[in-house]
Amino acid sequence: MSRYILSRLVLAVVMALLATLVIFLLANTVPGDPVLAQLGDLAASNKEFVAEWRAKWGLDLPLWQRYVIFLQQLFHGDLGISISSQRPVLQDIRDFAPATLELASIAFVLSLVVGIPLGIMAAVRRDSWIDHLARLISLIGVSSPTFWLAFIMLALFYGGLQIAPGPGRIDAIALPPTSVTGLYLIDSALAGDWDTFRDAAAHLVLPSIVLAAATLGLITRTTRASMLESMQQDYVRVARAKGIRERRIVIGHILPNALIPVVTLGGLAYANLLTGAVLTETIFSWPGLGRYTFRSAVTLDFPAIMGITLIVAVVYLVINLLIDISYALLDPRVVR
Amino acid sequence: MTDKLGWIDRRRLLQLLGAGGGAIAAGLPSRVFAQARKNTLVLGIDISDTITLDPARLAQYTSPMTVSAAYDSLVTMKPGEYIKLAPSLATKWERTPDGKGWRFTLRDGVKFSTGNVMTAEDVKWSFDRVINLGDQPSQYIAHVDRVEIVDKSTIDIILKQPTEPLLTIIAAPEFVVLERKVAEANGASAAKDAKTADKAAQWINSNSCGTGAYRITAWERNQQIQLARNDHYWGGKPPYERIVIRHISDGAAQLLAVRRGDIDAAFNLIPEQIAALKSEPTVRLAPLASLDFVYMALTQEPEFNKALAVKEARQAIGYAIDYDGIVKSMLGGAALRPAHFLPIGVSGSTEEIARQIGFKQDLAKAKELLAKAGLKDGFEFEIAYGNAAVQGVTYQDLGLKIQSDVARVGIKVNLRPVDQVNLRTEYTTGKSRGGVLTFWNPPAVENQLWAAAVVQRVAKRVHWTPPDDIVKLVSQAATEPDPKKQADLWVEWQKKVVDQANHFILFQPVYQIAVRNAVKEFPLTAAGWMLDLHGVTPAG
Repeated sequence: MSRYILSRLVLAVVMALLATLVIFLLANTVPGDPVLAQLGDLAASNKEFVAEWRAKWGLDLPLWQRYVIFLQQLFHGDLGISISSQRPVLQDIRDFAPATLELASIAFVLSLVVGIPLGIMAAVRRDSWIDHLARLISLIGVSSPTFWLAFIMLALFYGGLQIAPGPGRIDAIALPPTSVTGLYLIDSALAGDWDTFRDAAAHLVLPSIVLAAATLGLITRTTRASMLESMQQDYVRVARAKGIRERRIVIGHILPNALIPVVTLGGLAYANLLTGAVLTETIFSWPGLGRYTFRSAVTLDFPAIMGITLIVAVVYLVINLLIDISYALLDPRVVR
Repeated sequence: MTDKLGWIDRRRLLQLLGAGGGAIAAGLPSRVFAQARKNTLVLGIDISDTITLDPARLAQYTSPMTVSAAYDSLVTMKPGEYIKLAPSLATKWERTPDGKGWRFTLRDGVKFSTGNVMTAEDVKWSFDRVINLGDQPSQYIAHVDRVEIVDKSTIDIILKQPTEPLLTIIAAPEFVVLERKVAEANGASAAKDAKTADKAAQWINSNSCGTGAYRITAWERNQQIQLARNDHYWGGKPPYERIVIRHISDGAAQLLAVRRGDIDAAFNLIPEQIAALKSEPTVRLAPLASLDFVYMALTQEPEFNKALAVKEARQAIGYAIDYDGIVKSMLGGAALRPAHFLPIGVSGSTEEIARQIGFKQDLAKAKELLAKAGLKDGFEFEIAYGNAAVQGVTYQDLGLKIQSDVARVGIKVNLRPVDQVNLRTEYTTGKSRGGVLTFWNPPAVENQLWAAAVVQRVAKRVHWTPPDDIVKLVSQAATEPDPKKQADLWVEWQKKVVDQANHFILFQPVYQIAVRNAVKEFPLTAAGWMLDLHGVTPAG
């Protein structure tokens, strides 16, 4: 098992580096000029200033040399300086990642906690009203556009009913908790500041529901389909013939086998939530990585783009690795 | 099969589904902040472009508002008055005896937020830092030779070209006074090698060391900027204890927040959202007449388009566009339209002048010009534009409008949407093959900055080589001491560039800011920093 994990880890590192190379080459084929994305009109038309600026950011070097520099910095644990924020990329990511991590994790837990039981019940009570309800929920979740759902939720619960707080991580005039992890829930709990904790938790409700919606639909559907498939297996029939209680059959025999595709999907869905929350973050003014990624891309901020790519690649690879390991745990036949 | 599964009953199911519902109940807005809200001003605005709060490095659109709240410049501009300057840290200014620069008398007893008294030394140091850092603001004062201390309350700014304008430029928040001691203690440098020696960026982005009404206490990126009252402010006690500039990127979310009272003002509303506020008793609309331009540039490079190389053909386009339609029906009247790149409100540019000398729709004249150009059957050209919007009107909609307008005189337009950065790359390197729809937001209120740009870099982009008389007219107008004569010269200059027909100003936006009635004074300004934060007062 440990050898399996080790070989997977080595492969993961190689894959992450390959991903950065691809992104580096792709980003440099864009015809736009980062100088013009970053500088004001007057500065961009001053040749000396532009030349100096290019030299400062290494944009005057040949492509391969720039990539080598990137790799060298990487080995020193440095992702370079973001052109547009003029701060170390690592620091930017450290600032913006907690907001996304907090939101995506809550959304993920929400979609699991609701999606899996709903899928199970939809399967065991096939064609009952629960099944129809589950179908309706997953249909709405998968098919409603995020920005639309986000805005409707905000307009209804914040603007209309006034039972939910507005955009942002905390109340407009509240001060954020002293940063330890950057996760407001944990930081405020550590500080024993329960007002801020409540405030931060309340601000998480709407965006996490919106973010969870699509994932929830997928998880419900997959759980249901997978459960139905497992139910037809011989061992279930045998168990039933032996007179084992139905509840034990579902939890002990069907569920473990049905969960493998759900684990795969869940892992990828979590990675997706971590990296693909741009729209939710925009409408809820959530200061997370999604917004940062978007801005870096439109301003051709190469160091930031590279840094994010690397992080995203690592996140996907790690999650994939965890998925594979959990296969091995769920089904010993995977590791031979 | 379902019968056997009695262990999942309805109650349990509802409990499970209730996990989501329970979470909403926990989402009741907390009331603990109600008291603090009275003493706090909260602005809702998209500040995602703010990348620095260092005055000497400013280049963005929204950051000057924060900087102008924390720091003061020597002279300033009152809202609505962009020709005559008002005193700020300097109470008096005049030409130096030798005529080579300007002499400023500093206000007595001005204190920094630390309580220390401002000195001539601080003023000189602050200007030296801008110059030696060599960042974008240094270019606006590239004609400044040096700053000299005359005595403890007098400084001279000596110019390389004494006739070049200075006062209007240094009214901008880039040219404010920092407390030298504090700045240096936090890594700032104004020495010749400041470019590498200055390490203050980190500190200065979440703190401030100025004389302004408020001081910066925190900046959480893409989230909010926090300001606190400066108890040593020379202009009297600032009315708010705290100011929060809250980043809300979405206009619809700003609308909800200003209605609920979570924010006191919403800056990025589009016309439909503004219309939704008209019946709201607690919120009013305040117009912010900007000095920005939304315009179309037309190349005259014959290799790109033979027809556009002919002046009459370009003029025909100018006479075919329905400018009133753009302003009235697309923007609901919330815009002005200057004749050329001198916004309404500055010397030589009023609405009346613009009506007299600017293009207006006249289809007969357009057809006549086409005939004169030998293009009776019209011609084709492309309009490129980015994926963006000003005041809720997208460039795409503007392109469609122009397309249908010029079609009426037989000119065919091909619309070409381009990514914003690529568009700018094409345009600024002179590779645009037809028209470009874009935006210009000037750094400081000074006619010369606009006019010089038009005959220099902006002319190059459209492959126009301005004749000497037009270039000369710019410096002649900019250095004319008599205000009336100066205005006349600017009018003359505009007539010439309008005739050239390379740039068509479509509109000068008048932004609508929604302000809650809990706020009394809300002095919006077009001078570049949007709002005089020190002048904002609560009602009652």
